[in-house]
Amino acid sequence: MVKTLRDFHDVELAAQAAAGGRREYGELVRRHGSAVRGLLRRMGATPSLSDDVAQDAFLQGFQRCSEFRGQGTFAGWIKKIAARLYLKRVAKEARYVAEVETDQADVVVDRGGLMDLDDALKTLNETERVCVSLCHGAGMSHPEIAAAMNLPLGTVKSHVKRGLDKLRARLQPAQGDGRSIHVG
Amino acid sequence: MSADEFDPMIERLFAQSPRLADEALFLATLQARMEKQSRWRVLALTAAGLVGGALAIREGLSVNFAPGGETTLDQGIRAAAATAQGAAQSGLDSLGVGSVDLSSGTGVLAFWIVAGAMAAVLAAGAARLSQDV
Repeated sequence: MVKTLRDFHDVELAAQAAAGGRREYGELVRRHGSAVRGLLRRMGATPSLSDDVAQDAFLQGFQRCSEFRGQGTFAGWIKKIAARLYLKRVAKEARYVAEVETDQADVVVDRGGLMDLDDALKTLNETERVCVSLCHGAGMSHPEIAAAMNLPLGTVKSHVKRGLDKLRARLQPAQGDGRSIHVG
Repeated sequence: MSADEFDPMIERLFAQSPRLADEALFLATLQARMEKQSRWRVLALTAAGLVGGALAIREGLSVNFAPGGETTLDQGIRAAAATAQGAAQSGLDSLGVGSVDLSSGTGVLAFWIVAGAMAAVLAAGAARLSQDV
C-alpha cells in the first residue's frame, strides 16, 4: 500500500522538509496552521496580525527545519517560533508594557456549562493573557517567557498565577443556577 | 477545582484549537511566499556566481606570468591592504591613539589582533541573532 503524506508522522515530514520537501512541509502547515494562528489570537493578536505572524513563523520554520530533531512535538516547536515572533512584533510597535491596566470587556458567562477558553482569556489583561498563553499554549517555561518578554522572572510567575486564578474562576463549572450572567 | 486538576485542563483546552475555515487559503498564501523566496534566492545565487565567475576570468586573463614579476592580483591585494590600513590609522587618530603606527611591526600585529577580535565579536553577535528567534 502506498503511503500518502497524511500517513507520515510529523518528525518524518519535518526531516523531509529539512531536505527541501515543500509538499511535506505543506502537510505540516495543514496540520498545525490553525493551532498556531489560534494561539496567536489567544495571545491577543488580531486575525490579520496572527495570520501574518504565523506565515512568517512557518517560513522561518521551513528554513530552520533541520534544527527540529523530534525533541518535543513539531506543534510545540513551531508555536514557540510564532510566539517569539509575535512578541518581537508587538515590542516593535511599543504596544506592550510590563503592567497593563485590566480592561475587561463585558463577557457573557454561560453558567449552564463551561465558559469558552477564548472568552475567558478576554477577561485577563494583556500581559496575563500573553504569559498564560505562552506557558500553557506554547509550552514555554517561566524563564523562557521572562527572556522573551524581557520581564523579571518573578513578574512572569505572578502574571501566570493571577491569570490562571482568573481563568479558574471563569472556567470552573457553575455551582448554582444555569442562567447566563455578565462579568466585568 | 484544585490547581493540580486545573493546570492539565487548561493545557487540554489550549491544545483544542478549532480548525479555521480559511486554512486552505493560508496554506496557498504561504506556499506562494515560499516559491517567491526560493526564486529570489536562486536569482541572487546565480547573480553572485556570474559576477564571481566573471571576476575570476578577468583576473585569470590579466595575470602576469613573467618570472619575478608582480601579478595584477598581487597589486590589488596590496592596494586593498593599504586602503584598510589607512582607514584604520585615521580611526586610531580620531580615537587619540594615533601614535600607534600600523606600518611598524607591532602596529601591524595590533591591527590584526583588533581585527580578529572584531571579527570574533561580529561572529558571536550573528550567532546570537540567529538563535534569538
